[in-house]
Amino acid sequence: MTAIPVTVLTGYLGAGKTTLLNRILSEPHGKRYAVIVNEFGEIGIDNDLVVGADEEVFEMNNGCICCTVRGDLIRIIGGLIKRKGDLDGILIETTGLADPAPVAQTFFVDPDVAERTRLDGVVTVVDSRHVTQRLEDSHEALEQVAFADVILLNKTDLVDAGELASVEARLRSLNPFARIVRTERCAAPLDAVLGIGGFDLKRVLEMEPDFLTEADHEHDQSVTSVSLREERPLDPVRFDRWFRTLIQTRGTDLLRYKGILAFSGASRPTVVQGVHMLADSGNTLSWREGQSRASRFVLIGRDLDAEALAAGFAACAAS
Amino acid sequence: MPERRWETGAWVVGLAVNRAGTHAAAALGDGTVRLLDLADPDGGPRALPVHAGACLTVAPDLDDRGFLTGGDDGRLCRIVPGSSGDAAVEPLAEVKGRWIEHVDAEPQAGLRAFAAGRQVTLLDRAGRPACDPLDHPSTVGGLAFAPKGKRLAVAHYGGVSLWWTKAPEAPVLLDWKGSHLGVLWHPAGTHVMTAMQEAELHGWRLKDKAHMRMSGYAAKVRSFAWAARGRWLATAGAEEVVCWPFFGGGPWDKAPLELPGPGSAVITAVAPHPTDPVLAAGRDDGMIFVTPLDGTAPLPLAGRGGSAVSALAWTGNGRSLLAGTEDGRLSWITPAR
Repeated sequence: MTAIPVTVLTGYLGAGKTTLLNRILSEPHGKRYAVIVNEFGEIGIDNDLVVGADEEVFEMNNGCICCTVRGDLIRIIGGLIKRKGDLDGILIETTGLADPAPVAQTFFVDPDVAERTRLDGVVTVVDSRHVTQRLEDSHEALEQVAFADVILLNKTDLVDAGELASVEARLRSLNPFARIVRTERCAAPLDAVLGIGGFDLKRVLEMEPDFLTEADHEHDQSVTSVSLREERPLDPVRFDRWFRTLIQTRGTDLLRYKGILAFSGASRPTVVQGVHMLADSGNTLSWREGQSRASRFVLIGRDLDAEALAAGFAACAAS
Repeated sequence: MPERRWETGAWVVGLAVNRAGTHAAAALGDGTVRLLDLADPDGGPRALPVHAGACLTVAPDLDDRGFLTGGDDGRLCRIVPGSSGDAAVEPLAEVKGRWIEHVDAEPQAGLRAFAAGRQVTLLDRAGRPACDPLDHPSTVGGLAFAPKGKRLAVAHYGGVSLWWTKAPEAPVLLDWKGSHLGVLWHPAGTHVMTAMQEAELHGWRLKDKAHMRMSGYAAKVRSFAWAARGRWLATAGAEEVVCWPFFGGGPWDKAPLELPGPGSAVITAVAPHPTDPVLAAGRDDGMIFVTPLDGTAPLPLAGRGGSAVSALAWTGNGRSLLAGTEDGRLSWITPAR
């Protein structure tokens, strides 16, 4: 049984999520998507599956407060996979106020969901005109941007070029992983949104090594990203010890992280990624021709100590 | 005729035998129910279109002949096999925009129960609501009538609500943190057991609400049932059929029986024999076997190959075993005696 790709659509109220969803579903792609929304009947689409969900977030029994998952999502995916015929994908539209972490974690934590689906990506829609203010006053808006694999910078027609560039720089400083796509009325090509392999270790993970760091200090922000780079190969034992300690002590504050790591003696790079304490790793990639064999690790989180992280990461280098 | 099998092409979600033992019903992921006439060993399953989308649950109805099914079209249906190979499908209830994933019926109380989202509705013999809908703090993970139907247990996040079915006002909560996905009463009505989102079971002895927690499973416990009139609780989720003793002070401080199958693979379904001290079990590699509770060698009934066994049910007389798999194999097995 092949894993069904899942796309999570998030974004603050009024950013344009439903416009994007309608656009995806009305394109003549001939595919069959199940749509999970929080309020049944919020959108009416013929010939598609729309499933209502409650807002059920629960802690796993291991007692870790940051390892929360969405119970309704597990239940609904369990029901959808029993249907006859293969679904081409599942689209999850979260409410504008939802924290995306429990959604993403569900794909790591629940064995049935992990086996039968793969989280293709998190698409966050932001309103060019209002997102800067939202990032100041809303914790959820920050998390939505931090979690994105793709950010649709929407309503670009409502701001001037200078403002747009500064908004984009701000988003980039929060989340250097995400691909930013500028749109009006969410008119993005489907392949920018679906099938991106954003959370999928099996696809080549494109990192952005030259992310913008300017303007960080202008904001008194608790959520930031830290990008680490090490030219020397890493010692797997040292890295494992450092990283375990990091996620155990700071897991609650780590929203997302991704890394491509070159371990000494390994012919292929190792990819590490995760959400809070839940990390996943694999080495299914090969180094590309001419690619620098440096290790890169990017973390997005609250109150990150960039210097301490850089020192810890550098100390993982093989001697 | 050890095994007859059919390829239905759709996930076998559940299997039930009616109370008269004349028919078996398989609920399928394509929304149909396959009805088997158990008096006709040469006949095949008859496909009835019942639900739009998937059929999510099936149980014997109150009377001798009928079945209840729930689907992701939000409908609760009653299926009545006819005398000449035909069958009637009667809608009993509909909840728009919700899935009906859990149903149960209890003849002595004359009640049926079904869950849609956080609500459970009780219906009387005529199919009318017996009371206001019963509300729960989160989506219902499972429900079961106590023997004789005086009480109803409803599993949800954070525990189980126990309702008195005659006067369902405020339920008693059996609390335990976590998500409870299935619920089972002891046949004597003395214990309530749940299967959890984590690979473990939880339970309560009702007289003092003493907790029991059974862990160590390799996978979620999707299937559990009482064997030997409640002496043992047989469970799936490990590479052996794990049976917990409910006698002599157990299951506290007692090790479970671990009954291995031929070779190793995770057990996905268990079905204790209704009269004899043996159990049937199905695995994630498609194999089905019977194993005696005394620990003597297991006997394969169907070989491995194909997908996980998703449903198992004995007929009331124990002469036939019905089995279904995720990829749609439907088997009618008559073990040699």
